[in-house]
Amino acid sequence: MGVVLITTKSGTTSKPRVTFDSYMGVSQVWKTLPVLNGEQYRDLMTELGYSTDWDSFNARTDWQDKIFQNGLSENYQASVSGKTESTNYYISAGYTAQEGAVRSSALERSNFKINLDQKISDNIKIGTRIAYTQYTDVDVNDNNNVNAGGVLLGALTTPSIIGIFNPDGSFTSNPFQNWENPLASTDGLEREFSSSRFLGNVFLEANIFKGLKYKINYGIDENYGIFDSFLDPFRTGFGSALGGQSINNTNKTSYYIFENTLTYNKTVNKHLIEALVGTVGQKFRFENSSIETRNFGSDGVSTPNAGAELFNASATKSERANTSFLSRLNYSFDDTYLLTANFRADGSSAFGPDNRWGYFPSFSLGWRVSNEAFLENTEVINDFKIRAGWGVVGNDQINNFAYLGIVSPGANYPFLGASQPGTFPATLQNLTLRWEESEQTNVGFDLQLFDNKISFTVDAYIKNTRDLLFQTPLPTTSGFENVLQNVGSLRNRGIEFSFNSANIPTDTFSWNTGFNISFNRNEVVDILGQQRLLAPIAGGRGEASILKEGEPLGSLFGYIFGGVDPATGNAFYIDRNGESTFNPTEEDRTIIGDPNPDFFFGFTNTFTYKNLDLFVFIQGSYGNDLLNATRIETEGMIGPKNQSLDVINRWRTPGDITDIPRASFGNIDNSRVSTRFIEDGSYIRFKTVTLSYNLPQKWIDFLKMNSLKFYATGENLFTITDYSGFDPEVNAFGGNNTVQGIDFGTYPQTRNLIMGVSATF
Amino acid sequence: MKTKIFLIVACLMISITSCNDFIDLEPISEETTANGYDSARQIEAALVGTYESFQSAEYYVWDFVVYQDIRSDNCYAGGDNPEIFQVDLLDISPTQSRIYTHWSNIYNAIAKANLVLDKVVLVNDIALTEERRDQIMGEAYFLRAYHYFTLVKLFGGVPLVTEPLTSPEEEVNLPRSSVQEVYDQILLDLDLAGALLPDTYGNDASVNKGRATTGAVNALAAKVNAQKPSPDYNAVLEHIDVLEGSAANYQLINYSQLFSANNNAESILEVQYLGSNEGNFGPQLLLPPSISGDAWRKFATPSVDMVNAFDSENDEIRKNASILFESVQWVDEYWGNSPGTTIPFGYKWKNASGFASADNTYLLRYGDLVLLKAEALNELGQLSQAVTEVNRIRNRVQLPNLTNEQSSSQEALRTAILKERRLELFLEGHRWDDLVRYDRVIQTMNNLEEIDLRTGNSVNYNMTEQKILLPIPQQELDRNPNLTQNPL
Repeated sequence: MGVVLITTKSGTTSKPRVTFDSYMGVSQVWKTLPVLNGEQYRDLMTELGYSTDWDSFNARTDWQDKIFQNGLSENYQASVSGKTESTNYYISAGYTAQEGAVRSSALERSNFKINLDQKISDNIKIGTRIAYTQYTDVDVNDNNNVNAGGVLLGALTTPSIIGIFNPDGSFTSNPFQNWENPLASTDGLEREFSSSRFLGNVFLEANIFKGLKYKINYGIDENYGIFDSFLDPFRTGFGSALGGQSINNTNKTSYYIFENTLTYNKTVNKHLIEALVGTVGQKFRFENSSIETRNFGSDGVSTPNAGAELFNASATKSERANTSFLSRLNYSFDDTYLLTANFRADGSSAFGPDNRWGYFPSFSLGWRVSNEAFLENTEVINDFKIRAGWGVVGNDQINNFAYLGIVSPGANYPFLGASQPGTFPATLQNLTLRWEESEQTNVGFDLQLFDNKISFTVDAYIKNTRDLLFQTPLPTTSGFENVLQNVGSLRNRGIEFSFNSANIPTDTFSWNTGFNISFNRNEVVDILGQQRLLAPIAGGRGEASILKEGEPLGSLFGYIFGGVDPATGNAFYIDRNGESTFNPTEEDRTIIGDPNPDFFFGFTNTFTYKNLDLFVFIQGSYGNDLLNATRIETEGMIGPKNQSLDVINRWRTPGDITDIPRASFGNIDNSRVSTRFIEDGSYIRFKTVTLSYNLPQKWIDFLKMNSLKFYATGENLFTITDYSGFDPEVNAFGGNNTVQGIDFGTYPQTRNLIMGVSATF
Repeated sequence: MKTKIFLIVACLMISITSCNDFIDLEPISEETTANGYDSARQIEAALVGTYESFQSAEYYVWDFVVYQDIRSDNCYAGGDNPEIFQVDLLDISPTQSRIYTHWSNIYNAIAKANLVLDKVVLVNDIALTEERRDQIMGEAYFLRAYHYFTLVKLFGGVPLVTEPLTSPEEEVNLPRSSVQEVYDQILLDLDLAGALLPDTYGNDASVNKGRATTGAVNALAAKVNAQKPSPDYNAVLEHIDVLEGSAANYQLINYSQLFSANNNAESILEVQYLGSNEGNFGPQLLLPPSISGDAWRKFATPSVDMVNAFDSENDEIRKNASILFESVQWVDEYWGNSPGTTIPFGYKWKNASGFASADNTYLLRYGDLVLLKAEALNELGQLSQAVTEVNRIRNRVQLPNLTNEQSSSQEALRTAILKERRLELFLEGHRWDDLVRYDRVIQTMNNLEEIDLRTGNSVNYNMTEQKILLPIPQQELDRNPNLTQNPL
């Protein structure tokens, strides 16, 4: 549900309070990967049968050094807030600029916010929240191999023996294949996404009589994005073949929400009742247009008007809407027995007329045991609350008209010397499509001990998702690749512990510790008795992810690697009967890894000594497998790509005992998706370390300030992992929530250092 | 106070009563199956969309070169795609993404044709004449037949789908039909199409060579009757006779003009292109740097054996119309394992135009049918008439008549016709099918001598009976439990 959330900041003092924050930082990748040098590359190419005039290739370019950079960032935020008897205001503005750790990637954002509340009378209040953001970024091509312009895999698989530019100013290519060096991708293609977003609402609250409050809220979210790209007609092979290419895409999303709620509060003795009813209407309208021209006279003008050939011009619009009825009842007795009941009905335009409405109840119960007489005299326990809840939530996050059989324009074909309009059936109608439902049951408790110095929280949950909205693959003999259906169910079970302790709470020195750990197990309970393969890997190696009943979501899928035959240097695999084979069939593929961690934890420590604070946040994941598909590209040895340094241990002559097969031109049998590329993705990392210094009160007073703090933060400073890729926190198929744990030249998490100052007046 | 409450409740009620309308939305930029096929223009658009598969199904764009010319003895794989090298080396795995792409694209084209056939009879629009309604049905029957012919040649017996799917509740896990059943369906569709279609639609060549006609039906029917198990050579000759009597007046034209003029008199059916966003990206993948404007290694390289075949006949005209030699900076492992070697490029398409060529692609041309006629005559023992037809093809490229030795027996003439087809139809997507039809694919591929200069050894293609057909795509087997794999 796209409900607008605006974090509400408001004034708290009649004297205007002014804040100013700023930091500067630098980010970099924390690891590079060793690759073959020029001589080692030449040896490998010779083994593969390639020969060339090697003497003409005498450059020594470290492509990772060219691609990775120290990305500088800066950030400024300022705000003013305050209140008078009837007015409450908050105004802020900010600016951020970042260079990425990969060449050419960048981000810039400026924004302002105004929050204003005004009492009109004792019973009526109006308010507004307004935020405007201007945003620009330049993305890099990742999750692709060098053939498709992927920058990270380009840096690993481009041999060092070529320079950056040819004498004519064009980008160089692999000596044996016209794969351009990775700078062609970062520098040869101008591209930028920019957007402006206006987010705001006005509301009115009226007390009708004591305890009964009415609120009406109208909010909008206007988001206007423009993507521009320009491939000049000279420097890249693709650009020169097209004569240059300029693309301008715009997309505008207009959203509004209209809410009406009535809230009733009543306290009778120790009984506290709060009831709410309301309606919500929300609507999105999407408008896209794109234009592409080619054939440019120069690189002087990069906008489409300079291209002589209009290649594509199109515009589309779409809509979706939701409407909801809400009701909620809160009841508590003496703050000891707590009950909440919710019921909502949601209607969505994404479903057909007979299935638009979903009905979602939820209940929760609480018992503050510490308020009971039998614990009242206990000194040790400050607060002890037991909680239990049950509820159902719905999901309608599917394409706007997913239930309809869409007949799409655009399948045009020329007769009579001109393009004629053509249509094609784009989706299969499914009038039975309905809300996906997740039913969650949870129990837990909160415990505070020893003057609230120690707190302990436990939550356990079971979440069963049914009528899963899933793109079911169809036999393509039907004319469709898949159809969206409510099929199957998933189960998530888990338990989360969180522990906080004020270890040393003195005034001059304090030490607080927080620790949380979560264990989650998920399982595909039912998908119509079938299995679904996802995430195809480059080079015809088949899919690497499977959805299968009884197995965890996103299980990794492939062959079992047996080893390297010392006689021939070929990889052998273990087939489904446990026998060795050089030529396994598709049926020999099995589950080879689970990308879901056994547990995930976070550990924070805050030390305060006089005016110094030290905050340390350590994060870790244990027991998750990663498919390092980057290595399939860098250890496959099937063509003229540069390879990882590990391949110097490859099989070369009969009798060699090694776990790296021989080089073999064009042959993927030695680099199938297999257990060979499955790695342990567990890690522990210093996610954040911050040291800050608060200026002493007397200096603050002297400067007529409220506070002044200097700080330095390091992110991802140090990582312990056995994972051999750039970074274990990656997901090449991030856009797909059922595929995870695959690294394929994916942009890594970076190490960041930040110095900042924070002041209030 | 009470009026206030009343007003507020009224506000709430307004938003409640309007909510069902509020979420009842219609697509703006798309139509639906409920309203997309009502009028004459809409059914024409659905038919245009069916033809569009010739542009969007990659098999018809250029992969016919991969599976007919690279897979056979005509070309080597180049480029950077391991899957195409696998095709060249006859090591095609069921997980190969290209075969799945072709399977699904071609079935998508069939689904479009099925939809047109299903909807056209329901159109109630005075703008749709009965004559045009018949033609639309004929065009759809023809297109469906064309695509099933492609499928049965590539994969053998495939599931027969002849009605559109309208709901996921219907049975979709269809088993394979036999090769015979697929051919029966093709011939049935062609019979229906032949009765419904005109010889020509008027005077515009881009329509007469772009849309299905009786000429296209008879040409395809002749090819089908020759290719099917237990060929019917009399039927081949009957269809070619009808074709030659067509008002469209198909003629052999000057060979060098065949590949410079779209929709010429020899053409029976072509994939239509205009360039730009109606452009053909295939030529860019084959043409040399001097034409394509880029310097990467192209995906198909004419083989030494192919060039030798042209040279052995002194076939300069067709060689020059088909192949362009150029010196390149990359290394070619068959033509010279060092940079600067002069290597051949496929040159039947002449213009690359930045992946958006205006060069059409032949789906059916009369020259092919003349050689097919010779083939049928030879198989029926009418050798001298067969020789006449072959000589028509040879004489137009200034080659002498077949020698007495070449026409001395049915078997000798078979060999001569097969070679003539190779030279005539190089890079037009016929070679593998021809070798299969002549039952010479195993012997040809295993006798092929192609020296890989990196090793100095001849490539072992290891051709077997099982490799005649492509594997059924694994991705499709995973989707359909009732489907069975070809012997691997």
